[in-house]
Amino acid sequence: MALIQIRNLVKRFGTHTVLDGVNLNLQKGEMKVVMGPSGCGKSTLLRCINRLVEPTSGTILVRDQDIMGPGVDVRALRQSIGFVFQQFALYRHLTVLGNVMLGLRKLRGMSRAEAEAQALFQLNHLEMADHRDKYPSQISGGQKQRVAIARALAMDPAVVVFDEPTSALDPVMVREVAELFNRLNREGVTLLCVTHDLALASQIANRVIFLDQGVIRADDTLENLAKHHPNDQVRAFFGQNKGQS
Amino acid sequence: MNGWSGFQRDLLEQMPLILAGLRQTLQLTVIISVTGLLFGLVVFYFSNSPYQWVRSLIQGYISFFIGTPLIVLLFLMYYGLPQWGLKLSPFLVAVIGFTMNVAAYNAAYLTTARNGLDPSEIESARAQGFGRGQIFRWITLPQVLRLSVPALTNQCIGNLKDSSVAFLIQYTEFFARIQELAATNFQFFKAYLLAAAVYLGLVSILVLTARQVEKWTRLPGLGR
Amino acid sequence: MNFFEIVAQLAQGLVSTVVVTLVCSGTGMAVGLTVAGLRRMGYAHLVPFLDGFTYIFRGVPVLVLLFLVYFGLPSVGIKVGPLLAMALSLGLIAGAYLAEVFRGALDSVEASEILAAEAMGMGRLQILTSIEFPQMLRLAVPGMINEFTSILKYSPFAYTVGIAEITKQAMTLTATTLRGIEIYLAVGVLYFLIYRILLAGVHFLEKRYQVPGLGTS
Repeated sequence: MALIQIRNLVKRFGTHTVLDGVNLNLQKGEMKVVMGPSGCGKSTLLRCINRLVEPTSGTILVRDQDIMGPGVDVRALRQSIGFVFQQFALYRHLTVLGNVMLGLRKLRGMSRAEAEAQALFQLNHLEMADHRDKYPSQISGGQKQRVAIARALAMDPAVVVFDEPTSALDPVMVREVAELFNRLNREGVTLLCVTHDLALASQIANRVIFLDQGVIRADDTLENLAKHHPNDQVRAFFGQNKGQS
Repeated sequence: MNGWSGFQRDLLEQMPLILAGLRQTLQLTVIISVTGLLFGLVVFYFSNSPYQWVRSLIQGYISFFIGTPLIVLLFLMYYGLPQWGLKLSPFLVAVIGFTMNVAAYNAAYLTTARNGLDPSEIESARAQGFGRGQIFRWITLPQVLRLSVPALTNQCIGNLKDSSVAFLIQYTEFFARIQELAATNFQFFKAYLLAAAVYLGLVSILVLTARQVEKWTRLPGLGR
Repeated sequence: MNFFEIVAQLAQGLVSTVVVTLVCSGTGMAVGLTVAGLRRMGYAHLVPFLDGFTYIFRGVPVLVLLFLVYFGLPSVGIKVGPLLAMALSLGLIAGAYLAEVFRGALDSVEASEILAAEAMGMGRLQILTSIEFPQMLRLAVPGMINEFTSILKYSPFAYTVGIAEITKQAMTLTATTLRGIEIYLAVGVLYFLIYRILLAGVHFLEKRYQVPGLGTS
C-alpha cells in the first residue's frame, strides 16, 4: 500500500479553485517531484497533506488512515510529516542546535541530554554540527536548509516534504541540494518535493508530475514531457533549459 | 442602607465645588500641555547644539527628569523652597514642576523622531545655503513634529491623568474635591469610582481628538 | 545633619521602594503576558474583555485607582493591604500598558516560523510559550524599560497608603529638620540612581539573552 494516497483532492479559496481533483500516490522510500508554474497549487497540495490547509473535498490517506476522518490527531499527523519550508523558517531566537532540539523536547518529551544527542546526530549527518551554536542570522541559505532538514529528520518522520527547496538559494547551490536529496533517498528517506526548478528536478528524478491550474496534466519522464507531450505549453515548460542536467 | 440617596444628595450639594475642581484640572492640563510642548521644543533645539557641553547638559536634563518621579520635584518646590523664604502657590508649583517634567519627555520623543529623518535632506538644505536655524525651522521641525504627533498627544493624555497628583500639594483640582465629597459621607468607593469614570470619560474625549489631529497632520510618505 | 546623613536616613526607605517597584513590575508582567497571550490565542469572544481591560486601566490615573482600591474597597467590605493595593492599581495599569507593548512586539514575530511550528505538530500554547514569547520579549525591551521606569516613578504613591518608602522618609525628615531642599534633592538623586541601576540591569539581561539578528543588537 502507498504511504500517501491522495484521491480526488479539491481545494477552493472562496470561488477560486486551487486544486481541482488531484490524485497522487507516494510509496515508502520513493522520491517524488511535483512540478508546475507558480500558482499552480503545488504549495497548497503540500499544505493539505498535513492539514495546514483544510481540503474542500476528496480524501488523503496517510499510512491507510484518512487524515480528514473523525478523531484524527492533527498534531500527531503533523509530527509524522517533516516539512521543509521555502524560506526554511528556522526559529530566530534559537541556535542551530536549539532549532533541532525544540521538537524533541516539547513534542517528544525527551530529556535535554537525549534530545541533544539525537539533534547532534542529525546535525552531524547533515554536516552542520560545527555550526551548532550559531543563530539563523549567522549562517548561509544552504546551511539554513540543512538545519531545517535536520530539524525535520530528527522527528523521525514517515516522509519529508519540500516546498520549493531551491528558490531561496543561489542557483549554483542546485547541484549540492540534488546530491543531498539523492543521498537521503538512498538512505531510505521518503521525499516529496514540489518545485519549478527544472535543473533540480532533472538531477533527482526520472519521472515528474506536472501540476497546472489545479489538475495533474502529466506523469512522465522529463524527456517525454519536453519532446513528445501533445500540449505546447507543457513542452515549452519542460524544454526551457534543455542543455542543463 | 440609604447609601445611594445620601451620596447623591452630597454629590448634588457639592456639585459646584466639584465642577470648579474639574475646571482647575482641565486648566492645569491645558497649561502644562502647552508649556511642556514649548519648553520641550527649546530643549529639543539645544539637543542638537554644535557645542558638546550644551548637548551633554541637555542629555543630562532629559535623562534626570525621565528618571526621577514628578512628585519629588513638586515636593522639593512646595515643601523645600519655603526654607529659602520662597513660598509658591500650589498652582505655580504644579505648572513649573509639570512643565520641566513634560518638556523632558517631549524633547525625548522629538529626538527619537529626528533620528529617523533622512540625513540627506539636511545635507541638501545646507548645500542650498540654509543656515542652522533655518534648517531647524523649515526642514527638521515640520517633519519631526508630524512624526511625533502620536507620542505628543499621548503625553497630553498622560498630563490629564497625572494632574491628579497636584492634589498631593494641596491644589484643589477635581480629585481633591472628590476627596472632600468622600470625607463628608464616607462613601469612598462611590466617590472614587465616580472620579475614575470622569477621568476615563475625559481621556476618551482626548483619545478621539488625538486621532483627528493625527489624521490632519499626516503627510503622504512620512512616517506611519 | 549633612547631606550624607540625609541620604543614609532616606536609604531606610529604599527597600520599600524597591519592593513596591518589583511587586508592581511582576504583576504588570504577569498581567501583560496573560492579556497579550490570550489575545494571540485567538479566542474571539475574549477580545472585547481584553480591549475593555486595557482601555479602562490605561484611562484611569494611578492615584485614583490606588485610592479606589485602598480606601474604596473597604467601604464595600473588601479589605486590601497596602502592597496588594499597589499591585492592584499600579501593577494592573502597568499590565495594561505592557499588554499593548507585547501586542506590538508579537506582530513582529515571523508568521513563517509560527507556521513551521504548526507544521511540526506543536499546539497553540506551545507555540506561544516556546516561539512567540521568547522572540517577543527580546523585541519588546525598549517598551518594557519605559514601563518599568514608569512604575518606579509612580512608586512614591505608596506613601499615601502608609508604606514607609523613600518619599515617606523624606516627608518625615522634612517635618523634623525643615531642610526640604537638601532632602528632596537627595531623594531625586536617589531615584535617579535606582533608575540607572534598573536600566543597567535590563541592559545586562538584554545582552545576556541577546540573539544575533533579533531585536536591538
